Amino acid sequence: MTTSLAPDAGYPAPQAWGAARLLAGTSAGRVDLDRHRTVHGRPRSLEAEPLAGACAAVRLLGRGGAAFPVATKLRGTPVGSRTHILVNGAEGEPASHKDRALMRLAPHLVLDGALAVARSLQTRRVSIVVQDATAHRSLAGAARERGDARGIRIIHHDHGFVGGEVRAVVRALSDGPPVPPGRRLLPTVHGIDGRPTFAANVETFAQLALLLALGVDEYAGVGARDEPGTTLLTILGDVPHPGVVEVPTGIPLSALVGSGTTPVLVGGYHGTWLPGPGDLAVSRPALRAAGAPLNAGVLARLPDSTCALGEVATVARWLAGESTGQCGPCFFGLPALAATLDQLAAGRPVLPHALHRVGLLPGRGACAHPDGAATFVRSALEVLEEEVARHRAHGRCGRPLLCVLPTTTRRGAA
Amino acid sequence: MRLEIDWTRCDGHGLCARLLPERIALDEHGFPVLPDRHVDDRLLPHARRAVAVCPSLALRLESPAPTRPVR
Repeated sequence: MTTSLAPDAGYPAPQAWGAARLLAGTSAGRVDLDRHRTVHGRPRSLEAEPLAGACAAVRLLGRGGAAFPVATKLRGTPVGSRTHILVNGAEGEPASHKDRALMRLAPHLVLDGALAVARSLQTRRVSIVVQDATAHRSLAGAARERGDARGIRIIHHDHGFVGGEVRAVVRALSDGPPVPPGRRLLPTVHGIDGRPTFAANVETFAQLALLLALGVDEYAGVGARDEPGTTLLTILGDVPHPGVVEVPTGIPLSALVGSGTTPVLVGGYHGTWLPGPGDLAVSRPALRAAGAPLNAGVLARLPDSTCALGEVATVARWLAGESTGQCGPCFFGLPALAATLDQLAAGRPVLPHALHRVGLLPGRGACAHPDGAATFVRSALEVLEEEVARHRAHGRCGRPLLCVLPTTTRRGAA
Repeated sequence: MRLEIDWTRCDGHGLCARLLPERIALDEHGFPVLPDRHVDDRLLPHARRAVAVCPSLALRLESPAPTRPVR
C-alpha cells in the first residue's frame, strides 16, 4: 500500500502494535478525562531526584529528535518556582504526525506528564506550544475538563521546522523572534524569560506520565533492553501499515517498512537513507549506533513507482525554504545544494559538485538544520548511486515524481 | 584556543580569511570555512587580530570547553 501523508489527507487512524500504552483507550477516538482516569489512573507524585532516578532506570530518552537522556535533563534543572516547564508540540516536520496524533487523542496523558514534572520541580509555570489547530483544541478542551490545569498556557506556535526547535520556541516565548540563538544556551540554565526551563517533546511528557502511573518495572516490561517501553512512529510510503503507530522498542525495522528492495529513510528530513532495513532493531540507541538516528520517529520507504532522486531534491528544496535566513552558510548553501540536485536529476554531471556543497554544511549554523540537511542529502546520494547513474545516462529515470515525501509551502516565503 | 563563530552575526565580510588564511577560507558565498578551529601560540596574535577586526563581532576565541547543546 502506498500512501502520501499529506497533512490530514487520507491519514489512517493511529494504531498500536502489541501493548497500547500512549494510545490505550484511543480506538474510539479522543480520550476524555473520565475515560483517561479509567484507563491510566492517576500518576503518582515523585520529587525531582526520585523522578530522575525512575527515568534513568528505564533509560528514558527525549522523543523530540535529540534523544537526550531525560534523567540528565531533570537533574540539570533547578527545583523551584522560578523554573518553567515547556512542552514542545510544535512538530514542524511535514512527514511527522505522531505528536499531533498524541495530542489529539490522548491530551490528558500529556497534561498529566507536564503537571507531574511541574510538581516534581515545585513550580506552576507550564507552557505548551502547539502548531496543529486540532491538537490545540484537544489540549485546551482537556485543560478545561480538569481543575489542576487552569494555569497552563497553551500557545499556538506556527513557525516552521527550525522555528519549532526548542531554543527557537524558548526565544519566541520570551518575546523574541522564533529562531534559534547564535550562541549555545541551555534551556535548563537560560530558558523562558531567562529562567531555568525543563523543555521536552510532548511524547516525552506522555511517557513520563506512563512511567509514573505504571512504575519502573511495569513500564520496562515491554520493549528493548537499551530503551524499554514503547515509542510512537510515523511511517510512510511503500510500507505495510502507513501512519502513526505505537510499537514496543526493539521491533525489527523490517517489520515496519516491509520487505521491499527500495531505500529506507530513518529519522525523517534530518535523517539517514539506508539501502534497506537489514537486521536493525528500532530503538534510539541501536539506530544511533548504526549511524541512522531515529530523530523524531519518522520512517519511510519509497515505492518503486516514484522518481527517487526527484523525491530527495523536493525535500532538499523544502529544507532550503525552512532556513530562517539568519546564518549565511545555511541560507545560501541549502538553496545552492537544492539547485545542484535538480541539475543532477536532469542528468548533468554535477555529483562531485553536490558532494562538495553537502560537505560545506555541517557545523556552520546556529542550529542543527544545515547538519541535518547534509545528513539527509549525503546518505541519499550514497544509497541512490544507481539512480544518479540512470539520470546521468538518460536525463531522467522514466518514473513520475509522486511526492511520497510530503512537504509544505513556507508561510510568507523565505 | 579555539575559533568560534556566531553564524547569526556573520555577514561574510571576509576580513578574517585575509588575516588568518592558515585557518579560515571562504566559501563561494563569502562565508568562512574552518576545517581546523584550533589556534596555537604561533597563530594566536593573527587570530586575535582577525577577531578584533570582524565588523559583525561574529568571530571570537574561546578556551576549549564546549557545552553540549540540549534540544
